[in-house]
Amino acid sequence: MALVLRTTSQIMGHHAELERRSAEGYRALAERHPEHRDVFNRLADENQRHMARVERAYRLGVTDAFEVGFTPNPLDPGDYTLEEFSGESLEEDVATALRNEETVIRFCLDAAKTSGELLPDLPDTFDRLVRGKRKRVELLGSLT
Amino acid sequence: MSHRTVNELKVGGVMVVLEEPIKGVIELKNYIDGEWVESEASETRDVVNPATLKTIAKVPVGHREDVKAAVDAAKDAFPRWRRTTPLSRARYLMALKQLLEENFEELGRVVTMEHGKIIDEARGEVRRGIENVEMATGIPSLMMGYNAEDISRGIDEVLIKQPLGVFACVAPFNFPFMVPLWFMPYAVATGNTYVVKPSPWTPLSMMKITELIDEAGFPPGVINLVNGEVEPVSEILENPGVKGVSFVGSTKIGRDVIYKEAAARGKRVQAQCSAKNFLVVTPDADVELTVSSLMSSFYGNTGQRCLAGANLVFAGDDQGFMDKTLGVIKERAAAIKIGYGLEEGVQMGPLQAENRKRRVLGYIESGLEEDAMLTMDGREFSCDPYPETCFLGPSIFEGVSLDMTIAREEIFGPVMSVLTAENLDEAIGMVNSSVYGNAASIFTTNGGTARRFQYDVECGNIGVNIGTAAPMAFFPFSGMKDSFFGDLHGQGRDAVDFFTENKVVIQRWP
Repeated sequence: MALVLRTTSQIMGHHAELERRSAEGYRALAERHPEHRDVFNRLADENQRHMARVERAYRLGVTDAFEVGFTPNPLDPGDYTLEEFSGESLEEDVATALRNEETVIRFCLDAAKTSGELLPDLPDTFDRLVRGKRKRVELLGSLT
Repeated sequence: MSHRTVNELKVGGVMVVLEEPIKGVIELKNYIDGEWVESEASETRDVVNPATLKTIAKVPVGHREDVKAAVDAAKDAFPRWRRTTPLSRARYLMALKQLLEENFEELGRVVTMEHGKIIDEARGEVRRGIENVEMATGIPSLMMGYNAEDISRGIDEVLIKQPLGVFACVAPFNFPFMVPLWFMPYAVATGNTYVVKPSPWTPLSMMKITELIDEAGFPPGVINLVNGEVEPVSEILENPGVKGVSFVGSTKIGRDVIYKEAAARGKRVQAQCSAKNFLVVTPDADVELTVSSLMSSFYGNTGQRCLAGANLVFAGDDQGFMDKTLGVIKERAAAIKIGYGLEEGVQMGPLQAENRKRRVLGYIESGLEEDAMLTMDGREFSCDPYPETCFLGPSIFEGVSLDMTIAREEIFGPVMSVLTAENLDEAIGMVNSSVYGNAASIFTTNGGTARRFQYDVECGNIGVNIGTAAPMAFFPFSGMKDSFFGDLHGQGRDAVDFFTENKVVIQRWP
């Protein structure tokens, strides 16, 4: 059976994985493009904060009384994978970063919808993250 | 292991089993008067992870002397603890709450390892337990009495809430972390001292809590832990030093042993017992919301909770609606992933022990013998690569009538019995025909129907479009009829009243 995200814990886990990988990518870009080191490091730090914010919302809201294990609309993690950075140029790397940001935003939006069926407290957190991530897209776009 | 991220173990993006916090085999001890001590009983029993069948601990069978020592320590600690201000007592609980948060993930995984429930459910249990500690930290306000000035000229009357002494709890296997915390935080917050006896099937969660109690710095004797089986319970019931007992478990034990024996000795008792919960669905219900709730209610915790759905009643004589809803239920039930609760993506873990599975199998046989239609057979399942010993898939019986054993008795497993009622009146009558009165839910979009249901149904916990009507810490976990014996329930203000005596002072100063 193909892996799907059907429980709250799995959705949290995949989100954490996306944020972690995104942060790793920005740390690498900070080394590769020192003229924008501060920006990339800031984005990586923000990834960590986003991961912590969702995990906190989950831990504070989780309860066995809701449908934590039974989403009717499981997500396919294959729909939300991040691209590797080519490192060929700043323009190429920023373009990849923008596509990755859009992937994470799409995941957060879908997770907001699905997690609402599992744990009513979570959608707001994902929606707030999306607002923050849209600003990141603007910032990245200004680098090239 | 504190503050681990949720999923630290992955291979190539595929979830694997989360790291187990318990390594090897733990030899369990008692915690008495602030010290970890050996039981007077030399015999032990194995604590087994029901998913992997690995022995993870050895727990002493317990001895009366263990309880006597714990009660003596609690009695000695009581006078000083009672004089500790409510605000200071609350601060100990705040310290405990902080430690529980820091160890949240480990605690959840321990619950999964000893009980078998999936990690989301285990974390949910930990959260609900912590909520009771949080609630109890409000004791400076919660414990306030009241007064009336000038009940007669120059005479005032004051009500004071006072602690009584030593209380004890006999906890069940199905919520090893949460249930002791339904009681203990309120008991000690109000100035009493405490003895906890966890289930010998699942004693590790309470051991972990007790380690954190020790770390939080509670004075010796205020909270004590005694492991064991029957003997410690007998001593709790008979020891004159114990002022009250909280119990969660079967009606047979709760009513015929705990309530009877403790009440006969003048102790306070709150015995939360068995259940047979009806979930009523009307044809105007929102199918999507209803089915998701039903899945969690019937199959969450592998059906091993006193709030689990047992009988699903379609009210309203709408065959088309029933067929459609049952069709979605069967589709979802067939897709439930069964396995080890620490494996991400697993939706239903094993029964807690092999004998519990045998009991459920017995009920499935009973349903077949009584001519109910087994339209989904939970005996056919896959839990690969785990041993099948304690696992069972979801079952659905259709064509069930109230006279059948499976409709009347608590199965405590992942079995749904489907009944029909011509209308709401008949459905409510079916709910009220049960000897139990723990929980009932209705799924409807009609407010009048919902109100009628909550008004007329004789159950303590009612859900309206909620499958598992689990009261929050600031409400009592209610229950009626053969589901509860006593007067005051666990949690909320009931808990504060259970653990305090009202003293009235009438005063005149010349």
